[in-house]
Amino acid sequence: MGNKQTIFTQEQLDAYQDCTFFTRKEILRLFHRYRDLAPQLVPLDYTDKPAVTLPYELIGSMPELKDNPFRQRIAEVFSEHGDGNMTLDDFLDMFSVLSEMAPRDLKAYYAFKIYDFNNDDYICKSDLEKTVNKLTRNELTPEEISLVCEKVIYEADVDNDGKLSLADFQHMIVRAPDFL
Amino acid sequence: FCFLHGIDAVEDLVGSLASMSNKERIKAMQRMPETMRKKREIRNKVLKEITKKSRHRGAQCTQCLQGAAVSFRRFGNTLSEHFHQLRPWHKTLKIIGAEFGTSVLSYFVFLKWLLNFNIFSFLINFGFITIPQFLAAEPNNLSFMGLELLTGAGYFQQTVLYYGSYTNATISKVENGASYNMQLAYIFTVGTYFVICFLILLFSMARLFSRNFVNLQALSVNTSKLLCTWDFNITNEKAVKLQQKNLLTQIKESLTELNKEVQNFSVMERVVRIATHLIAWVASLATAVAACAGVYFLSINNLKLFMKGYSNDLQRQSAMLVLPVIVSLLNTLIPFFFSWLGHLENFQTPGQHIYVTIIRNIILKISIVGILCYYWLNIVATSESQCWETLVGQDIYRLVLVDFIFCLLGSFFGEFLRRIIGTTVCVSLGLPEFDIGRNVLDLIYAQTLTWIGILFSPLLPGIQMIAFLIVFFVKKVSLMRNCQPPCKVWRTAQMMTSFIFLLFCPSFLGVLSVTGVTVWRLKPSEECGPFRGLPSMYAAVAEWIQMLESYTAWKWVVWIYHNLISSELFFFIISTFVLVVTYLYWQIIQARRTMTKLLHNQIIN
Repeated sequence: MGNKQTIFTQEQLDAYQDCTFFTRKEILRLFHRYRDLAPQLVPLDYTDKPAVTLPYELIGSMPELKDNPFRQRIAEVFSEHGDGNMTLDDFLDMFSVLSEMAPRDLKAYYAFKIYDFNNDDYICKSDLEKTVNKLTRNELTPEEISLVCEKVIYEADVDNDGKLSLADFQHMIVRAPDFL
Repeated sequence: FCFLHGIDAVEDLVGSLASMSNKERIKAMQRMPETMRKKREIRNKVLKEITKKSRHRGAQCTQCLQGAAVSFRRFGNTLSEHFHQLRPWHKTLKIIGAEFGTSVLSYFVFLKWLLNFNIFSFLINFGFITIPQFLAAEPNNLSFMGLELLTGAGYFQQTVLYYGSYTNATISKVENGASYNMQLAYIFTVGTYFVICFLILLFSMARLFSRNFVNLQALSVNTSKLLCTWDFNITNEKAVKLQQKNLLTQIKESLTELNKEVQNFSVMERVVRIATHLIAWVASLATAVAACAGVYFLSINNLKLFMKGYSNDLQRQSAMLVLPVIVSLLNTLIPFFFSWLGHLENFQTPGQHIYVTIIRNIILKISIVGILCYYWLNIVATSESQCWETLVGQDIYRLVLVDFIFCLLGSFFGEFLRRIIGTTVCVSLGLPEFDIGRNVLDLIYAQTLTWIGILFSPLLPGIQMIAFLIVFFVKKVSLMRNCQPPCKVWRTAQMMTSFIFLLFCPSFLGVLSVTGVTVWRLKPSEECGPFRGLPSMYAAVAEWIQMLESYTAWKWVVWIYHNLISSELFFFIISTFVLVVTYLYWQIIQARRTMTKLLHNQIIN
C-alpha cells in the first residue's frame, strides 16, 4: 500500500505504528528529520537495525526544541543512557509522547521525570528550585525561589513527606486543566 | 501505570495484553510509559503468545488467518492516513499555536467549529428545501441591480434566499408518483437541525465541564498551578521569553500576596469602592438600555417609512442600510466605553476586570438581539406588509453582512493601523495584541443572528459560511503580520468552556425560544411562503397527523403524537423524573466529596 520504501521492513513499521501514536507517513517523515540532523552518521537503510546515536547538541538545535527551557532534561529523560544522546527509537519515543495524540496521564508521567532533576523518583525542593529557575530565566532572588518551592510543596504534597511523589504530581495535574 | 519490576510483572502484562482485542491492545501499548526497545520486546512476546493460543485452539490455518488480519490492519491504517490528510487547516493551526500560544489558537479552533455548524445547516437546507423548490419555481420578474448584494432586497426577494418564495404545494413531477410535501419538509428540516445542534452543544459542554472543572477549588490561585500552566506548544523564541516574563510576574504577585498582611480597608474606603462599582454597573446598564431604545425606535421609524414608500428606489435601498450600520456601530463603540469604565473602577485583580467587561459586553449584545427579535415578532409580524417573513429575512441578511464588514474593518483598524502607529509614530505603544475576548464575542453574536435567520432565510448559513471563511483568512494574516503573542495569561481551558457555555446558554437557547414562538404562535403571511393560509406554522404538522389517522399502518405515529408530544401530563412526569435523578446525583457528589476528605486525612496520618 502506498509507495514502496526501503528504509524499514514492513514488520519494523508495524512495530513502530503499534508502539507510538504515529502513522506510517509520520514515522517516515520523522526518520528524515532525524537523518537531516546528521546525514553522514545516519544510514538510509535501517533494516539491519544499525546502532546509531546522535549527540545531544544536534538534538537540542532542532527548531522545535531550541527555545524550550527544558530541552536538556527532555533529551536526557528519553535517551537510552540518560546522557542526552538519542537513537532513532528514543527520538520517535520522545516525539510520540510530546505529540498532541498522547493522553494527559502519559504526558504527566514524563513531565514528572523531566522535572525530577536528580532522578530519585521524587521531586524534592532542589528539583523544584531548578524548575522554577528555568521557567523564569533566573530572574527571581534565592529567597523568593525558596518561598515559592515551599509553597508548592505545602500545597501539593498529599502524603506529607516533604517531597512530591508521582502520585502527588498526578493529583496536582488533575486539578490543573491547562496542563498541556 | 504498571512499573515493570520483576519478570512476573512482565509475564502478567503479556498475558493480559494477549487476551485483549486488537484495537485495545494497540491502545494499551501506545500508552505504556516504557522505552521503545522494551515495548518492542513486549510486543514480540505478546504476538508469540497469541499464535500459541490460536494454535492451542486447533485452528487450521492460523498462519493465513493472522496474515489476513495483519494486511487488513495495514489497509485500515493507510485509509485513516488519507483521511487525516483531509483535515483542513491542520498545518495553519499548528503554526498559529506555535507562534502565539494555545489561547490565541483557541479562537481559531472555535471559529472552525462554528464553521462546521453552518456547513451542515447549509447542506441540509439546500438539499431538502431548496432543490425541491427549484423544481417548482416560478419565474422571477424582477431585474438585478448591483445593490442587492448589500441590501438583500430587490431581485433577491423572490429567489430561494427567502422564505417567501417557497411554495406551499406538494411537489410531484410524475403523475400519481411520489410527492414531496414542502410544508412538512420545511418544518422538519429546520426542526431536526436545531435538535442535532442542541445535542452537539450539550455533549461538547458536558465533556469540557467534566475535564476542566473537576475541582471547583480551581478558582483560587495556587502557586503549584502556575507550574502547570507552562505552554509547551510554543516554539517561537519571543513567545517563550514573554511566557517566562509572565510567569515571573505572576509568581512575584503571589509572593507579595503572601508577604503582605491582609489589607484592612477602612469603612470609608469600602463604601467608596462599593459605590464606584455600583455607579459603573448602573452606567453600563443604562447605556445598554439606551442603545436598545435607540435601535427600537429607529426600526419602528424604518418600518413606517418603508410601508409609506419612497420617492425613488435608491433612497429606499440606502435607507434600509441605516439600521444595520447603527447596530454594528453600537456593538463596536460601546465596548470601548465599557473597558474605559473598567479602568476607572479599581479591581483587585486584572482577571476580575476582564470577566466584568466580558459580562457587560454580553449583556449589551444580548439585549440588542433581544430587542430586535421583539421588534420582528411583535411589530413586523403584525404589520400589513405582504410578506413579513421575507422582511425579517432581509433585515437579518443585512445585519449579518454589515457585521461581517465591520469585523473586517475592525481587524484593519484595530490591528493593521495600530501596528503602524505603534512602530512608527508612537513607539512606546508597541505591537497590538490579538483581543481574544472581543473576537470570540463577535463570533457568538454572528452565529446567533444566523441561527435566528435560518427559519426566514434558509440559505443564510451558506452566506455566513463564506463570511467565516473570509474572516478566518483575514484574521490569520492580520495575526501573523501585525500582532505579538499575548502578554496576559489566559486560562485557556476555562475560557473555552465559558465560550461554549455562552454559545449554548443565552445564544442557542434564545434562538430556540424565538423560533419556537414563531412556529407556534405567529400567523404566517397569507400570500407567500410554504405556510400561507394556515393559522400557524405548526398547524401543518397537526394537519399531517390528522391525515395519517386514516392509515392503519401509521397508527403508532399518531399515538406518539397525541400521547407523548402534545400531552402535558407526559412532560410533567418527565420533568419530575429528571428533577429526582438530579437530586440523587447531587447527593452522591456530596458523599464522594466527604469520602475524598476522609481518604486525604488517612494518607497524611
